[in-house]
Amino acid sequence: MALISQADQDKLRETFNEMTSPVRLLFFTQTLDCETCLQTRQILDELPPLSDKISIEEVNLVLESDKARRYAIDRVPAIALVSGEKDSRIRFLGTPAGYEFVSLIQAILLVGGRPSGMTEENRKRLAAVDKPLTMQVFTTPT
Amino acid sequence: MAFVSPNITAYAVEATEYPDLARKYHVSGVPKTVVSGDDGEIEILGALPQDAYIEQALSALSPTALHEDTKATK
Repeated sequence: MALISQADQDKLRETFNEMTSPVRLLFFTQTLDCETCLQTRQILDELPPLSDKISIEEVNLVLESDKARRYAIDRVPAIALVSGEKDSRIRFLGTPAGYEFVSLIQAILLVGGRPSGMTEENRKRLAAVDKPLTMQVFTTPT
Repeated sequence: MAFVSPNITAYAVEATEYPDLARKYHVSGVPKTVVSGDDGEIEILGALPQDAYIEQALSALSPTALHEDTKATK
């Protein structure tokens, strides 16, 4: 059974039409000891049928630890958004359900080329950052 | 922000699934942002307007980590 209603699927399909470049979702998972990995995979699987610009690549945290390290992922489930070979450095830790699903869709659209709401001035300020900065935004599904 | 700057990495963390991280950063309400830079760690509670949010986030960096864009390009 689809997790996304038909009406929402139609809306998403239309929104994804605004994307100009492909987005790959690297889905970090492991076979054992991950209660929410299956649910996360099921949610992600709903997206590629809605846009030919969205694809999913599964990465096993245990078997492909090199790749996980490259994306600074050390827990599952986790998602990294990549455009072509360019890492967006946007990550989701945990199941993207509820409000997190909305955030994931927004992130996909941003990486996919939809203009962001960021002002030119702020864009310049951020471009001037020349030391690493890590931001962790904590949320809950509701 | 991560999308604009190659030095910024952004994680959206589902707090109930990662109680260890939520505990480590004393998350009692959401959204809560923890920003770690070369000048330490700062917290942003709740949602803020874009300007204020970026202003606060960048305060986790030392002044030298923010080169003047205009000077650099001239």
